[in-house]
Amino acid sequence: MRWFFSFLCAALLGLSSALSSSGSRLLVVLEDVAEKGSYGGFFGDLEARGFHLAFETPKSPSLALLKFGELAYDHLLLLPTKAKGLGPALTATQLLEFMKKEGNILLALSGDHGTPTAVQSLLLELDIHLPSDRNSLVVDHFNYDGESAKDKHDVVLVPFPKVVRTDVKDYFGGEGVIAVPRAVGQTLGNESPLLAPILRAPSTAYSYNPKDESEIVEDPFAVGAQLNLVSAMQAHNSARLTILGSAEMLQDAWFEAKASLNGKAITTANRDFVAKVSGWTFKELGVLKIGKFVHYLDEGVSKKVNTSSAIPENNPSIYRIKNDVTFQVPISEYVSTHWTPYTPPSGDNIQLEFSMLSPFHRLNLSPLSQTANATLFGTTFKTPDQHGIFNFRVDYKRPFLTNIDEKRQVTVRHFAHDEWPRSWQISGAWVWIAGIWVTVGAWVGFIALWLYSAPTEKVGGKKTQ
Amino acid sequence: MKLLLSLIPSLLISGACVASAASSWSFEDATLTVQGKGTGVGAGAKEKLNPSSPLSKSVALGATDTLKLLLTATDGKKAKRPHQAFLTLTDPTTGLEESFVLSVKESGKGKVDLTHKDLPIQFLTSSKPIPASIVIGSFGSSTPYKSKVFDLSVTRDPNVPLAIPEKPVRYAAESEIHHIFRADPRSPPKIITLVFAAAVVGALPILFGLWATLGANVNHMGKALGNAPVSHALFFGSILAMEGIFFMYYTTWNLFQTLPAAAVVSIVAFLSGSRALSEVQERRLAGLR
Repeated sequence: MRWFFSFLCAALLGLSSALSSSGSRLLVVLEDVAEKGSYGGFFGDLEARGFHLAFETPKSPSLALLKFGELAYDHLLLLPTKAKGLGPALTATQLLEFMKKEGNILLALSGDHGTPTAVQSLLLELDIHLPSDRNSLVVDHFNYDGESAKDKHDVVLVPFPKVVRTDVKDYFGGEGVIAVPRAVGQTLGNESPLLAPILRAPSTAYSYNPKDESEIVEDPFAVGAQLNLVSAMQAHNSARLTILGSAEMLQDAWFEAKASLNGKAITTANRDFVAKVSGWTFKELGVLKIGKFVHYLDEGVSKKVNTSSAIPENNPSIYRIKNDVTFQVPISEYVSTHWTPYTPPSGDNIQLEFSMLSPFHRLNLSPLSQTANATLFGTTFKTPDQHGIFNFRVDYKRPFLTNIDEKRQVTVRHFAHDEWPRSWQISGAWVWIAGIWVTVGAWVGFIALWLYSAPTEKVGGKKTQ
Repeated sequence: MKLLLSLIPSLLISGACVASAASSWSFEDATLTVQGKGTGVGAGAKEKLNPSSPLSKSVALGATDTLKLLLTATDGKKAKRPHQAFLTLTDPTTGLEESFVLSVKESGKGKVDLTHKDLPIQFLTSSKPIPASIVIGSFGSSTPYKSKVFDLSVTRDPNVPLAIPEKPVRYAAESEIHHIFRADPRSPPKIITLVFAAAVVGALPILFGLWATLGANVNHMGKALGNAPVSHALFFGSILAMEGIFFMYYTTWNLFQTLPAAAVVSIVAFLSGSRALSEVQERRLAGLR
């Protein structure tokens, strides 16, 4: 019997091997643990992907994000709560502290409940803005669900997002229509490169407060594509925060709901989209790993043939100016369950900087070869004609990808005295070299004359006169 | 039965279509005025807008002009107040959108004013005309209205500088940098070098020739070697050897190979030189020099 259990355990372990790259402990905070039934499909999907879910309410005394200064959970899913505050365990500072320890947060808002102040101040700190009144939601009179929101138009139907920039990898694309019921729209500050929209509202959508008595929208919070339904923030330490405008998107009721868009019957693709968003947030997607830098002196083909010194020394700590150097680095990307070779999108390049204070070289790395789980990128260049302490630096920061910033220091020395070209190789020096040897010859000739010259008759004759 | 069941939703939908087709949002009596600063009311270009077709020529908006749009929103044929009435500008190249809210009265009459101050910087610097569309929609089943009504071409006084804000930081690949190396030191053309080198080398035979004409000779070599063969040979040999050491130092040797050799040769030169030079002195005293 015992062997059967151990076999079962092993099988289960094997099954749950599909794991996030940064851990599987996921804390779900919701108003009432009984509420989790309505999110059953989403939680089931998460568990199938290998997450271990723990459920807490904000009021629970045992709730703590950090234990002994370390993460108690790797990921946090915050579902909307009715209370205005989130309690002492979930203040804005604590949520930030959680992110500083590389915890990831999926934050679901809801137009029905209003956003807790802790969440609002957290978002404000990150330059993400929510409508000032608590009940605002996004409506669109053009793309609404004709079944469930015939009059209110507050269930916005949007297609899967398209990548705006050609040099950004598409992690959220797909086929179908996503239902976003009663969403809280967000606007993102323009200054920070850490923020990125995932799903924008259609161009005719706007945010308004249904409690507002006026018959016409006069001063909307934001309009059209400037309004985000789902947006993301990735901190410098690659901790991720995703703001989901509508928590109802996660519910079973909308996973594969029948809806109608402008009279056409459709089935919502929320399950697919939500899996992508949660997968990205919980670091199953878009995670990069950089391997060891390899750099060596490239002495050309001629020196490499059949000599014991043909194998160049890897990663020397010193180079000379104007040396040819080859640089290589493997980079892998985590895709759901395992590490795969990384290929940047077509418009994008991984770049190597060879820098002393500022880069002297910034070169695109080209893929050289692939192994089972890494792509080897490399380039060859000539060290600049400036000696000093340089860095090989790969600084690869892109939206939706974890940050890579790796440096390796090397010394670049100037020419040694015996590495310069000899003077006879410089044609301009030939006159001077000839001058020296003519002087030498004349000197030897003069000594010979001084030692062995006999007095001439003539001169002697003249002298006697 | 199954067929019937599957038919029901589509029937419902077509029903909804019919219902919505019955009433749809639009506008009427729309006028567009571009008024220059200081000109009176009623002055300036006036255009009538048609909900079904856009204006054929684009509307110019100068730096001091004000664009006024007046319209009456209608639901079906009736004038009605919609919840949403926007004038939306879309940048044709970047896709940037900006909406301006029309203030609509109870009667459905709406208006919006537009000046350069209201426009974001991207529209002010746009070279192409900007399509402007009107969006009218509201809750309920009426079909909303959205259509391009005119092109707005923003004209700007080129002499007035525009404060263009700095582009915000976005993570992307930066432009490549290739270090520009200092130019290699250059030599003059080889022909010039060779001419001057030949002139220098040619000076040696000329010098020897001149000495020869003045009566220089080596006639006493036999005598000197006869009087002091060892010291003369060693002395002259050591001088030649010293030059040879210099040559080796120039080509291959380092200082630590050069110095001992030079020391040995100079001791030989010193010892043999004193003997050789006394022989020369003897010849001088004998009047042979």
